Amino acid sequence: MPESDATRVSRHPAKSTNDVYATGDDGVSISGIWKTFTTRNERTVAVQDINLQIRRGQFVTIIGPSGCGKSTLLRIVAGLLSPDCGSVSIFGETVSHAAESKHIGFVPQTPALLPWRTVTENVQLPLQVNKYSTSGGDGRQSDPRELLESFGLGAVLDRRPHELSGGMQQRVAIARAFVFDPMILLMDEPFSALDEFTREAQRRGLLELWQSNQKTVLFITHSVAEAVELSDVIVVMSPQPGRIQAVIPVDLPRPRGNLVENSDPFHAVEVAIRRELRRNWNQPE
Amino acid sequence: MTSNSGGDLRSAQVNAGRDRWRALNIQLWVPPLVGFGLIVVVWQLYAVHNPYVIPTVFQIVDQFRTQPSLYWHDMLVTLREAVVGASCGMAAAFLFAVLMSHVRVLERALMPLVVVLNVTPIVAIAPGLVIAFGFGFTPKYIIAGVIVFFPFLINSLVGLRSPDPEVLDVFTTLHASWWEVLWRLELPSSLPYLFAAARICLPLSLIGAVVAEFSAAGQTTGLGSLIETAASQANLKIVYASVVVLALLGVSVTFVVVMLQRRLLSWHSSSWTRSQ
Repeated sequence: MPESDATRVSRHPAKSTNDVYATGDDGVSISGIWKTFTTRNERTVAVQDINLQIRRGQFVTIIGPSGCGKSTLLRIVAGLLSPDCGSVSIFGETVSHAAESKHIGFVPQTPALLPWRTVTENVQLPLQVNKYSTSGGDGRQSDPRELLESFGLGAVLDRRPHELSGGMQQRVAIARAFVFDPMILLMDEPFSALDEFTREAQRRGLLELWQSNQKTVLFITHSVAEAVELSDVIVVMSPQPGRIQAVIPVDLPRPRGNLVENSDPFHAVEVAIRRELRRNWNQPE
Repeated sequence: MTSNSGGDLRSAQVNAGRDRWRALNIQLWVPPLVGFGLIVVVWQLYAVHNPYVIPTVFQIVDQFRTQPSLYWHDMLVTLREAVVGASCGMAAAFLFAVLMSHVRVLERALMPLVVVLNVTPIVAIAPGLVIAFGFGFTPKYIIAGVIVFFPFLINSLVGLRSPDPEVLDVFTTLHASWWEVLWRLELPSSLPYLFAAARICLPLSLIGAVVAEFSAAGQTTGLGSLIETAASQANLKIVYASVVVLALLGVSVTFVVVMLQRRLLSWHSSSWTRSQ
């Protein structure tokens, strides 16, 4: 197959920052991140020398097999783990500063809602916690009820989470991350617990939101199709030790509806990703 | 046709309502009532033939009819000892649990002491406390508090550690203070555990109060003192009437806890009825 624009893969150099995307824009920059876990007498290198630049407004997806350190990397960017060395800068701030000023929106794998709060109260949580910090983004916060209505949850505002379906709960969790207008959204396989149909709808919904807000997103998935449909840039990681294997730009037009999904360029990107994933499968260290 | 189906619907609703009525009343209330009635009958039969072992049911009821103020007054005293003592004990236990769950060193330092306090029979401590604090309310509060401390502490610790780690992650990325995490996450998450503990602790505190009254020989108020005085005079009617009051007290205290639990924990699966 001829290599089209969409399948141009930049092999990631071992040490330098991925300069293809270092444009001088104040985005998120991850440089030289290492993280090792020690259990009893075993040392595992979870992530090794991760360098990545994310521009403002970009949708970046990390894909890779389980154990490749993608969750570890996300948790480091979220400030939930501290790296052994290396640094993360979120729009020029350190991670702890960014968290302090509520610039980080985190959507975990499960909806992680508070069962004693109604849907609206759950979405209000980020506005109540750490109240006196400067709010995220441009300082605009959404009205939780209006936001939920735009999420298609207007009918369940006063329900408790256990009364909702899994897909609806996940949408509430995403609304909770949007409500305080953070500068970056970190999403850790948010749709992995959902069935295929719900997942598809959730994906569309997220894309619409992202297109209207132009938020910077770092998204983790293990679904190739999901990665291609959502992303501007796909980062392929490989396990043991977890490192970036390839950075694949997705130059497909948006919105990527069904038409695009069945097109040749779409498949070309899919093939490129699968080839990268397979490469590391065939050559274990 | 329309009216017919409407009629069917209405009769179906009536049937459903009647079924629910029947289920509520017969299945819920009859078995315990029958069991309770049986015990009363057996008690009465045994008491009639063994008047020096237990009083008859009528003699006990007669006690409440002839001197209600005696039992009412002593009940209030014991209730006060138990409730005040248990509240202080549970509050202290929760504070300890918060400290211990946030500072690991404190848990390691305090847990052995708490275990020693728990395995020491409370009955053995009571006389010493009475000597130290006199015949007033203080030793009763302490004993009722000590007896609830351990179960409430353990449940609080489990409850405070019950939040889902991913919810904690969300709080961390929002840079929530430890106080916000405690107030908005850990405390509400631990409420089911705290209520389960309270259902054990409040009846336990009644035991504590009665034991404390037993130890304060010569004291004249409280159901425990009433029992002790009456027993020394072999007055079985007063002894058993007091026991009945204590049992009712335990039931009411538990009932209050359950009602509060239903109100506050409607979000928790423990308060959903099983048929739903």
